[in-house]
Amino acid sequence: MENEQKEFAYWMALSHLKKMRTVRKNEIIVKIHDANTNITDFFNSDIIDWKTKYSLQENEIELLKNVKNEISSYSFLVENLLNQGYDIIPINSSEYPITMKENLKMKYSPPLIYVKGNKQILKETSIAIVGSRNATNISLEFTNNIAKKASEDYKVVVSGFAKGVDRQGLDSAIKFKGQSIIVLPQGITTFNSRKYHKQIINGDVLVLSTFHPKAPWSVQFAMARNPIIYGLAKDIFVAESSNKGGTWSGVKDGLRKGRKIFVRAPEDSEKNANNILIQKGAIPVDMDGNEIQDYSKKVNTKYQIPENIQQHLFEPSE
Amino acid sequence: MNRTQCEIILKEKFGFEKFYDEQWQTIDMLFQGKRVLLIEKTGFGKSLCFQFPATQFKGITIIFSPLIALMRDQVNALNKKGISAKFINSEQSPEQNLQVMQDAIDGKIKILYIAPERQNNDKWIEATQNMQISMVVIDEAHTISVWGHDFRPAFRRIINLVKLLPNELPVLATTATATKRVQKDIEKQISGDVITIRGNLLRDNFHLFVIETKSEDEKFLWLAENIKSIPGTGLLYSGTRVNTETYSKWFDFNNINSTYYHAGLDGEKRKEIENGLMNNKWKCIISTNALGMGIDKPNIRFIIHTQIPQSPIHYYQEIGRAGRDGKPTYIILFYNSKEDKKGIAEDYKLPKSFIEGGRPSIKKYNQTIDALKEEPLNITGLMRETNLLRTPIRVIIADLIEQEIIKEVKFGGSKNYEYQFNAPELDAKKFDELRKFKLDDLNSMIDYIYTKEPRMKFLCEYLGDEFNNKKENCDNTTYKKRHVNPKNETIEKLKMFRNQNYPILDVAPKTSKKINKDMRIAIKKINLTKYEIYKNNFLLTEINSIEDYESNKNLQIIPKLSLEELIEKHLQNKSNIIDGIASSYYGVSNVGASLHSCKYENGGDFPKFLLDKTIKAFKKQFANLHFDLLVYVPSTISGDLVKNFAIQISSKLKIPISHKLIKTHKTEPQKIFNNSLLKRENVSDVFEYAEREEIMNKNILLIDDIFDSGATIKEIGKLFTDLGAQLIAPLVIAKTVGGDIKSGK
Repeated sequence: MENEQKEFAYWMALSHLKKMRTVRKNEIIVKIHDANTNITDFFNSDIIDWKTKYSLQENEIELLKNVKNEISSYSFLVENLLNQGYDIIPINSSEYPITMKENLKMKYSPPLIYVKGNKQILKETSIAIVGSRNATNISLEFTNNIAKKASEDYKVVVSGFAKGVDRQGLDSAIKFKGQSIIVLPQGITTFNSRKYHKQIINGDVLVLSTFHPKAPWSVQFAMARNPIIYGLAKDIFVAESSNKGGTWSGVKDGLRKGRKIFVRAPEDSEKNANNILIQKGAIPVDMDGNEIQDYSKKVNTKYQIPENIQQHLFEPSE
Repeated sequence: MNRTQCEIILKEKFGFEKFYDEQWQTIDMLFQGKRVLLIEKTGFGKSLCFQFPATQFKGITIIFSPLIALMRDQVNALNKKGISAKFINSEQSPEQNLQVMQDAIDGKIKILYIAPERQNNDKWIEATQNMQISMVVIDEAHTISVWGHDFRPAFRRIINLVKLLPNELPVLATTATATKRVQKDIEKQISGDVITIRGNLLRDNFHLFVIETKSEDEKFLWLAENIKSIPGTGLLYSGTRVNTETYSKWFDFNNINSTYYHAGLDGEKRKEIENGLMNNKWKCIISTNALGMGIDKPNIRFIIHTQIPQSPIHYYQEIGRAGRDGKPTYIILFYNSKEDKKGIAEDYKLPKSFIEGGRPSIKKYNQTIDALKEEPLNITGLMRETNLLRTPIRVIIADLIEQEIIKEVKFGGSKNYEYQFNAPELDAKKFDELRKFKLDDLNSMIDYIYTKEPRMKFLCEYLGDEFNNKKENCDNTTYKKRHVNPKNETIEKLKMFRNQNYPILDVAPKTSKKINKDMRIAIKKINLTKYEIYKNNFLLTEINSIEDYESNKNLQIIPKLSLEELIEKHLQNKSNIIDGIASSYYGVSNVGASLHSCKYENGGDFPKFLLDKTIKAFKKQFANLHFDLLVYVPSTISGDLVKNFAIQISSKLKIPISHKLIKTHKTEPQKIFNNSLLKRENVSDVFEYAEREEIMNKNILLIDDIFDSGATIKEIGKLFTDLGAQLIAPLVIAKTVGGDIKSGK
C-alpha cells in the first residue's frame, strides 16, 4: 500500500506530462509492466535504458528529464489529495475500471484517474445515458426510465454531471437507490461534493476525474470528458441528440469505434437528430430502452430529415 | 565534497572552524540522499546539519517547524550570514507569505521555514508545484510521534508527506528529546532506510533542585524571599494563564521585576515580551510553557516550575531551554505534596486531571460523528450542531482524522470536516492505551521528585541515554536541599496581597485577532458613510466607503474578499465598555460556594462579606471615575438577588440606581450553553432600556453576580453604547475560570 502510494507522484508526473500523447504514455507503461519493474525504477533508469529498453526518442527523453525534477513537488500534491480523502488509481492497478480499458484501449485510456467515494462501483456493470443539456420532457422521462431500470438491475449509471439528461440520469439513479459515477469536466478538488455527501458516504456515488486535480472547469475538459463517459459505460443510451455538440460527436465517435449505442426512437413531431444516429448505425429503443426490431423500415417510410440536418449528412466524414 | 572541502566553506559561510563528528556524519549522509534521524541535546548545533547542506544543494530546502519564534531567530541569523532564508507563518500577512512563495518559486530562497499546518493551504501546495525541492527537514521531530510529549496532528501529515517523497530526496528529522520508544516510532514512521544518530543528552551545567511544599502559599513565600538571590534572569513556568498573572502581580508586590506571558496575549505583545527576554528586561518572566521553546537565548540562568510537567520528558524539554552557554544554571521544581482526604497530593491532581479529562467523552465523539454523517461542517458549524466547546471539538476532530473516520476537505476555499465512505468505527481502546501510557509517564515524574539518585542521571536514563558520567549536580548529591522557611513578615505580606488581588474582566473591545495579526488597524464607523481607520490607537485616516478603502494604497492590506466582513465585525464590536473587575475568582475561595448556595439553593441574599469585597474591588479599579448611574443585569432565574445586591452597592457608593434595564424576551440561563457562539446568540438583542436620555453621555456602572463568557455584559455594553453612553464599567462578584460554574453545580 505504502509503496503503491509512493509511486503516485511518478504516475502524476507521467500522466500530466505535456507534449506526449496518451498512447505513448500507455506504451511506456506496458513496457514497464513487461520488464517486470515499476514506474519509480523507470524514472530512475539512465538515459541508455530509456533509449534501448523503452525505445524513447530524444525529445521524449528531454521531457522526462525535466519532469523528473518535479517528482518531489508532485509528492506534496499527492499528500494533499490523499489527506482530503481522494483516491488515485493508476492504469495498472486492480482498481482501475476494466470496462474503460476494454472500451478505450491503449490509445485513449487515461493512465491515471482520481476518485472519491466507493471504488467498488468501478467494478459493476454500468450504463451511460447521454443527451442534450436542454432536453425535452420526453427525453428526461426516457432518462428516468432507463436509470430506474438500471438501478433495479444493479447497474451503475455513469453521468457527465451536465444539465439536462446527465443530471436527470444521476438524480433518478439516486431516487431509485441505484449507484452512479459522476464524471467531472474539471479537476477533482475543484468540485464541491457537499450535495452528494450522503450518497458518497453510503457508497452509492463515486466522483471521478481524469484531469489535473487542481484544474478548473473548461469547455475543453467538458469535451474531453465525453469519451471517458463512453469508456466507463458498458451500454450507452442516447436520450436526445441535436446534429452538433457533445452528444452528437460523442455518439458518432462511439459508433466509429464500433460501440453498441442505443438511441431513443423519437416521435414524429420531434426535431432532433436521433434518427440520423440510428441511420448511422445506432440501435433504436423504445421509452423503456427495449430494442425496436423493424425500425429501419419505419424510418425509411415515415421520417423526413429536416433540411438543416440534411446538409450535415452530406458533409465529408472526419 | 569531502569533509575538508566542506569545512573550508563552513569557515567562509558560517564562521566555524570544524564540524563535530556527528554533525559531519549527518551532513555526509544527507549529501548521499539518505534519511537521517538526529537526536542531540539543545545547543549541540543541530540546525547546522541542515543549514550547511541546504546552502550546497541546487534547489530549496523546506524545514517544517512548529515554532514561530525559532523560525524568526534562525532566519535572521542566516540572513546576517548572507544566506537567503525566509519563513511562511501566521505572523506575516497573507501577501507577505505569497511573496515568499513566489521568491521560492523564482529560486531566490535556499532555506524556507514553514509550519506543518500550512500543508493544508492551497496556495502553498500550488507553489510547491513550481519549486525545485532539494531536501525536507522535520524539526522537533518528536512531535510526529503519539508517544512523544506533544504530538501535533498537523505533523501526522508531514509523516505522510515524507512517506510519499521520492527515496532519493534527503530527509532530516531532528529532536532534542526522544525516548527509545519515540525514536523507534519516528524511524518507523518516516520509513525507508533511516539512519539514527544519537548523541548524549547530559546537561552538566544544571543545578537541579526539587522543593517540596505543603501549600500553594509556600511557593509564593519561597519565591519572594529567594528569587532575587538567584543570579541572572530566567523563567518561571506556572500551570495556568490565571496563575501567570497572579505570580506576576505577587512579584510586583515584592518589587521583583517581572512580567507574564501566555498564549492568550496578542501577537504583538508576545513578540514584545520575547524581545524583552532576549534583552534581560525582567528578572523573571512568568509563563505557561508556551514561552522559551525555540528561543535562541544562550543565558537563561534559571527555570523554575511551580507545577510538575506531565512527564520527565516534558520536564527535560522545558528545562533544556536554559543555560545553553554551558554556565551554571538553576533548575528548580516545586511540588505541593499536601494530600487531600483521598490521599492524593495537590500537585498531582492537575496533571492527572489533564490526562484523565484530556479527552472528551465517547458520547461527544459520537455526537460529532453523527453531525458529520449528515453533512460536512467546519468548527463553527460543529459548535452549533453539537453544543460542544471549541476545544473538545478540536480534540475530537484531531482524533477522528487520526483514525481516518473523517477528513479535512476544502470546498471552494473553505475548510470542512467530512465523514468518509467506508470509515472505520471509532476505536476508543486507543484512547485508553494512550491514557495509561501518559499516567505511567506522570508517575515517573513523581519518581523524579522522590528519587535519591543524581537527578540528571534519572532524566538521561529516562530518555534512553547511557549514563556514564560521574558529574553530580543536584540536591541529591552536591547541593543542599532547599526548604520553605518563611519569615513572618513575608507571610503577612502574602495575606495582604491575597486580599487585594482582583480579577480583571477583559471586555473592552479589541480589534479582532485577524486584524491584530495582519495590520492592527481598527475600523470604526462614525456615521452612516464614514469610517475611521486606526493603527495602534492613532487615527490614520478617514474614508467614506469601502471603495475608498480599497483604493487607498497604504491600507490595502486585507484581502478584498473579507474586507466587508471585517468592517462589519468591527462595527459589531464597537462599544464604549471598559475592562471591569470582580471581587474574586469563582472557584478559588468561599465566594463561589456562597454564591452557589444563594443562587441555586435558596440561600437568601448575598452575604455582607461579598458586598464588602465587591466595594473594595470597585475602589481599586474605578476610584478615579465618576459614575452617573448604576444599572444591574436583570436575572434569568435567581429572582431579585442581583437587584437587592445592586441596591446595597448603590447606597454604599452613593450612585443613583436604575431598574429600567429589562429583558424583552426570556433567555435560557447562559450556563446551559457550552460555547461562546451559542451564549452570544442567546443574549443577542434581548435587552432594552426605554429612557435614552438617562443614558446619553453618561458614565454607567453595570452590576452582575457572576461573569462567565462575558457575552451578557458585552451585549449590554453595546446597547448602552448605541444609546449614547460615554462609558460602561462592569463590576461583578466573581469571575469563573474555565467553566468551573458547571462543576460548581
